[in-house]
Amino acid sequence: MMSALIVDDELHARDELESLLVETSAFKIVGRCGNAVEALHAIRMERPDVVFLDIQMPAISGFELLSMLEDDELPAVVFVTAHDAFAVRAFEERALDYLLKPVSRERLAKTVERLRTLPGVEARRGYPRAEIKRIPCLVARAIKLVDVPDVEFVKSSDAGVYVVTAKGELFTELTLRVLEERGRLVRCHKQFLVNIDQVDEIRIEEGLAVIRTRSGQQVPVSRRHLPGLRELLEI
Amino acid sequence: MKLAVQLTEALCVFVVIFYLYCRSPAFRPLKPDWPRPRGKVRLYLVFSGIAILGNYLGVPVVGGQAIVNARAVGSTLAGLLGGPILGMLVGATAGVHRVTALSGAAAFPGAVATTLEGLLGGAVHVAMRRRPERLMTPAVAFATTLVGEILHMGIVLLLTQPHEQAIAIVKAIAGPMVIANPIGAALFMAVLLERQREQDRVAATSSARALKVADRTLRLLARGLDQASAGELAAIVKDETGVGAVGVTDTERVLGWAGIGGDHHRPGAPIASPYTRQSIADNAVVFADGVRQVYDCTVSPTCQLGSVLIAPLQVDGVVVGTVQLFETRGRRFLNMNRSLGEGLGAVLSSQLLIARYQEQKSLLVMSELKLAQAQVNPHFLFNALNTIIAILRRDADRARDLLIHLSNFFRKNLKRSSDLSTLEEELEHVRAYLEIEKARFEGRILVETDVDPELLSLQMPAFTLQPLVENAFKHGLSETLGAGRATIRAYREDGVALIEVEDNAGAWTEPRQRAGLGMHIVDKRVKNLFGEAFGLSVTCVPHELTRVTVRLPTKGATA
Repeated sequence: MMSALIVDDELHARDELESLLVETSAFKIVGRCGNAVEALHAIRMERPDVVFLDIQMPAISGFELLSMLEDDELPAVVFVTAHDAFAVRAFEERALDYLLKPVSRERLAKTVERLRTLPGVEARRGYPRAEIKRIPCLVARAIKLVDVPDVEFVKSSDAGVYVVTAKGELFTELTLRVLEERGRLVRCHKQFLVNIDQVDEIRIEEGLAVIRTRSGQQVPVSRRHLPGLRELLEI
Repeated sequence: MKLAVQLTEALCVFVVIFYLYCRSPAFRPLKPDWPRPRGKVRLYLVFSGIAILGNYLGVPVVGGQAIVNARAVGSTLAGLLGGPILGMLVGATAGVHRVTALSGAAAFPGAVATTLEGLLGGAVHVAMRRRPERLMTPAVAFATTLVGEILHMGIVLLLTQPHEQAIAIVKAIAGPMVIANPIGAALFMAVLLERQREQDRVAATSSARALKVADRTLRLLARGLDQASAGELAAIVKDETGVGAVGVTDTERVLGWAGIGGDHHRPGAPIASPYTRQSIADNAVVFADGVRQVYDCTVSPTCQLGSVLIAPLQVDGVVVGTVQLFETRGRRFLNMNRSLGEGLGAVLSSQLLIARYQEQKSLLVMSELKLAQAQVNPHFLFNALNTIIAILRRDADRARDLLIHLSNFFRKNLKRSSDLSTLEEELEHVRAYLEIEKARFEGRILVETDVDPELLSLQMPAFTLQPLVENAFKHGLSETLGAGRATIRAYREDGVALIEVEDNAGAWTEPRQRAGLGMHIVDKRVKNLFGEAFGLSVTCVPHELTRVTVRLPTKGATA
C-alpha cells in the first residue's frame, strides 16, 4: 500500500478521487487538502509516497506548491487537471503521470502500475519547479500571502522561519534553502536571507558587516557571505 | 452719331450671342477654371471668337481704310478674366485677323492697339487678383475699356501714315468706339455675372436639398439596401426633388419605386432598362434628357416616363445598385435635379459604406464573443462533469438536477448572440451557471441575488450578465483561499438601471488577454446598442472587493 495525499480545491473532486483511489486497493489515504498551503503542511507531516495534485488551485498553483518543497521532501506526484492543455504539454515528458478529470478507472489503473514499477527517486525526477513569487505565511489562523518584493529579509531560529516585511514578521513553513533557491532572496548569514532590493545600507565595523533595510531593521552579515554580497551589490 | 448707333447695334448682336453662349451647355462657371490650362484655352477660344466677330460686325469708314469695331471688347475682357498673357493672345489673334482678312491703313495700328488693350485688361487683372469680387464688375470693365480705347486712338494717330489720314480716321471712329465699347464691355460683364450667380443659386439649392435628403436617409440606409429601405428611400428622394418618379435598384432588380409608373415598375422585377445596365456596368452616371436620348420603358408601352438620370450606388468602388430620377415625356428634366441626382448618388453611396462598416464592426464583435465563449467552456465543462460524477455516487437526484442545469446553460449559450435579452432571461442563464459553480465550490462560495422585480423586463444585449458572473468566479472567487461571497444586484438610480456583480476577492487587475476580452465585448455591445453614456465600469479594492457595474437605460433599446 502506498500512502497518498489528495490535493484539490473542489470538495466533490476530492471525494471522487478518494473513492477511485480506495477502489484500487493500492493506496492508503493519509490526507485531503483544499489548497496548497494545507498541502505543504500535510506533506511535511505525513510524508506521503504519492500526491495527487490539482494544478489550478486558489492563490498557489500545484506547480508553485512543488517549488516550495525541499528536494528530499518531494513525494511522487500525479497531476490531476480538468483541462489545461498547456500545463499538460509542459510536464508531459518529465512528470511521472497526469490524469484528466473526470478520471476513469482504467486510466487510473495504469497510473497505479507506473507508480509500482518506478523506483521512488526516479518517480520524482525533474518536476517543473516554478519561481516563488508569493510566500504563504500564517497569521493567527488565517493564511496570508506575502509578495516576495515586499520582503525585507527572512530569518530562521529555533521557533521556525519568519518572513520580515516593513510591517512586521510572519511565520512561514518554507525553509531558508527553498526561499534562497527559488525566491530570489540572497543568503547573508547562516540564519538570514535578505532581499537585495530592500537594502538601504551596509555598515562594516571591525570586519563585521550589518545591513540596514529600508524600514531601518538590521540584518547581520557573516564573514563567509560578505564577499558574495559585495559582488552582488558591486561595492 | 450714326456710327455710334451702328456700333451699338453691332454690340447688341454681340451681347445677344454672348448671352446665348452663357445659357448653352458649353458654358461653365468661370471662376474655378481660371488657374487651369483647360479653362484658359476655353477662355482664349471664346474671346478670340468674340473679338474676331467684332471685326466683322464693325462698320467700315474713311473709304474702308478703317473699321469702327468692337474687337477691343474681346481682348479687354479676356485680359480682365484670364490675365495679361491671355489678353495679349486674344488681342493679337484678333489683330492678325484684322490685318490679314480685312485691309486698310488703320489695320496694323488697330492690331497693335487691340493687343495692348488685352495687356491692359491683364494688368488690371493682376492688380486686382486678390479681390476677384471687385474685379468682376461692369464698372471695372467699363473703365478699362474706356482707357484702352483712348489708348487705341493714340496708337492709331501715331502709327497710321499719312498723318492726315490718321486724323481723319480717328475723327470718324473715336466717338463711337470710346463711348460704345466700354458700355458693351460692361454689358458683357453683367451678363457673365448674372449667369454665374444663377449657377451658384442652383448649386446652393441643390446642395441644400441633397443635405436634406442625406439627413432623412442616414438612419434608413444604416440597415443596408433592401426592399424596405429602398422603398422609403425612393419616397424620400421623390418628396425632396419633386420629380415624376424615383426608382432604386440593386444590380439585378428593382428594389423600390415611388411616383408615376408604380403600377408596372414593381419592386422585385428584374432590371429592364439598358440605361440602368449601362450605369451599373460603367459605374457612371447615365442621363437620358428625353430629347436626344429618350427613355423608353420596356415594361409598359403606356408608360409616361420619358427622361431619366441614373446614378450608381457604390460601396468600396463596387456598384451595388442605382438610384434613378424620372420625368414624364411632357416635362423638362430640370438641370437642378440633374446635379442633385448626381450628388445624391455619391451621398447615398457613402451612407451605404457607413452601414457596411457598422455591420462589419458588429460581426467582429459577435465573432469575438463566440471566440470568448469557446475559450471559456472546456475547463468549466470538465470540472462540472467531474463534480456531477462525484455527486452521482451519493445523490443521484441532485446529480440529475445538475445535469439539467448544465444542459440549460449550454442551450442558452447557443442562443444567437445578436439577440436582445431581458434581465429575467439573463438571470436564468446565470442561475444555471451558478448552480454548477455552487456545487463545484461547495462550502467555499456563497452567492446572493438582489434584483428589483420591476427591472426583470429590462432589455440588454444577450450575454451581458453571464460573462461578468463568470469573471467573478474565474478570476476572483476561485482564486481566494478564504470564504468567497458573490452578490448580484439590479436596481434603479437617477433614471438609469444598474446591474452589479460583486465579489469579495478584490483580485481585479487591468484586463489580461482572455479575462478582459469578455468584459470588453460586453461593454462594446452595450455601447453599440445604447450609446456612449452606458456600459461597464469596475471598482476594485484589492483583497476586499471587485464590483463590475453595467449602466443601462430603463427605457430599453432605442435602436
